Amino acid sequence: MFQTLQDKLYLNFIKDDRYMYLVNGFITTIKIALLAILVGLIFGFIIAIIRSAYDMNKDQQRNTISAKLLSLANAICQLYLTILRGTPVVLQLLIIYFVIFADINVNKTFAAICAFGFNSAAYVAEIVRGGIMSIDRGQLEAGRSIGFSYAKTMLYIILPQAVKNVLPALGNEFIVLIKETSVAGYIAIEDLTKGGDIIRSRTYDAFFPLIAAGLIYLAVVLILSKGITIFERRLRASER
Amino acid sequence: MSADTIIKVKNLQKYFGKNGNIQTKALDDVNIEINRGDVVVVVGPSGSGKSTFLRCLNLLEMPTGGTITFEGTDITDPKNNINKQRMKMGMVFQQFNLFPHMTILKNLTIGPTKLLKKSKAEAEKYAMELLERVGLADRAGSYPNQLSGGQKQRIAIVRALCMQPDVMLFDEPTSALDPEMVGEVLDVMKALARQNMTMICVTHEMGFAREVGNRVIFMENGKILEENTPAEFFENPKSPRLKEFLNKIL
Ligand SMILES: Nc1ncnc2c1ncn2[C@@H]1O[C@H](COP(=O)(O)OP(=O)(O)OP(=O)(O)O)[C@@H](O)[C@H]1O
Ligand SMILES: [Mg+2]
Repeated sequence: MFQTLQDKLYLNFIKDDRYMYLVNGFITTIKIALLAILVGLIFGFIIAIIRSAYDMNKDQQRNTISAKLLSLANAICQLYLTILRGTPVVLQLLIIYFVIFADINVNKTFAAICAFGFNSAAYVAEIVRGGIMSIDRGQLEAGRSIGFSYAKTMLYIILPQAVKNVLPALGNEFIVLIKETSVAGYIAIEDLTKGGDIIRSRTYDAFFPLIAAGLIYLAVVLILSKGITIFERRLRASER
Repeated sequence: MSADTIIKVKNLQKYFGKNGNIQTKALDDVNIEINRGDVVVVVGPSGSGKSTFLRCLNLLEMPTGGTITFEGTDITDPKNNINKQRMKMGMVFQQFNLFPHMTILKNLTIGPTKLLKKSKAEAEKYAMELLERVGLADRAGSYPNQLSGGQKQRIAIVRALCMQPDVMLFDEPTSALDPEMVGEVLDVMKALARQNMTMICVTHEMGFAREVGNRVIFMENGKILEENTPAEFFENPKSPRLKEFLNKIL
């Protein structure tokens, strides 16, 4: 029994340096997730700021060009959110790689970063918008009454408070994203999940490589969750 | 318009409701001229449009009709950039609205440094002087949530003053305070009036109106129904509605 366990571990991980599939897969997964969340944060914030600017100003709007532009931008953002949140991320990944980037020879990882990043942006946008809208309207009025423009009031007064409130939710979004990248294998990227699967196809043993991949995901997620919990506790302590 | 007119309001109207679908007529043809050094106290029943009037003066509410001229500029002109005039109009809110993520000193200096382009040192020096005057210099490093309501409101007044405004707008600055803290805020406002600050105050503090106001305005249903000096206003009310109102509150 003990002997067979050792044999299996040897077969699945040591022989031909098979553990490297998991190591390289892990690096790829983290690379895609980190860059995708960066894309998601950038586009998510832009969308959230446009959407909340529209919501906060619609009752004050005069019929100016900028009001019309804002209304148009808001409609585009809404369409974006509807599509990105209403279709499966795997499908978005396939469409980006095989349709949108069909004629341009791009790196698969780049396509995956775009797909997961743009998808994540939709979720980040709604988290951040929620954070902005949860700040008391009096803050906006106080900023504006001093003479700050809407943009500067956002920058100095609303966003710092909103971001602080939504940091835990953004952390959770990152965790979700890491797990979501496990479908990157659909465009033949050798991420962590695919790495485990490749070992399985070499050794004809499903249990060890897949469980090992699962444990690595779990460890990353648990460490991040713990970090978020500690951070949340600190936030609450600083508020009193 | 006389030389010392600072604000001139003409035919001011404000409707609330969606796209012409009138739901509330909050202001109905309000006309008034305010001179430098005036301390105008605005009173009236709940829902009469006092806050709306005050908030229209710095365009926190966009008027539906009429014009507001501030220091010679028509601020209701769509081409006007209101941020310039807002720097000259301090506003104090019922709910204080201090910035909770900044220290008191930062609350006071963010406007002057970012908008008036003062140096940090210069802005802090001025802020500390004003803090000294309201007796809160020792709280410069505190955060708003470490202060009492009365302290917060005194800071809010100082925050507006740090912009060196030409007029101060107060919307029920003492209504959210525990009774024992009302006095400390009113004292700051009285001191300000004595320094000839132009002030427009919506308040239920009739003692304040009598003591430091030079004009008292009674609003009802979005209109200015009566205006007088404090003595005449309280001793000799003319409209029956004002008599009724004064009977209820005095
Ligand atoms: N944002 C708004 N949307 C719709 N109606 C509003 C809005 N703000 C005020 N109103 C309405 O306009 C009218 C005037 O309100 P306003 O707040 O100016 O009264 P007020 O005199 O300040 O009352 P209070 O003494 O209770 O503060 C009221 O009928 C009120 O319901
Ligand atoms: Mg009011």
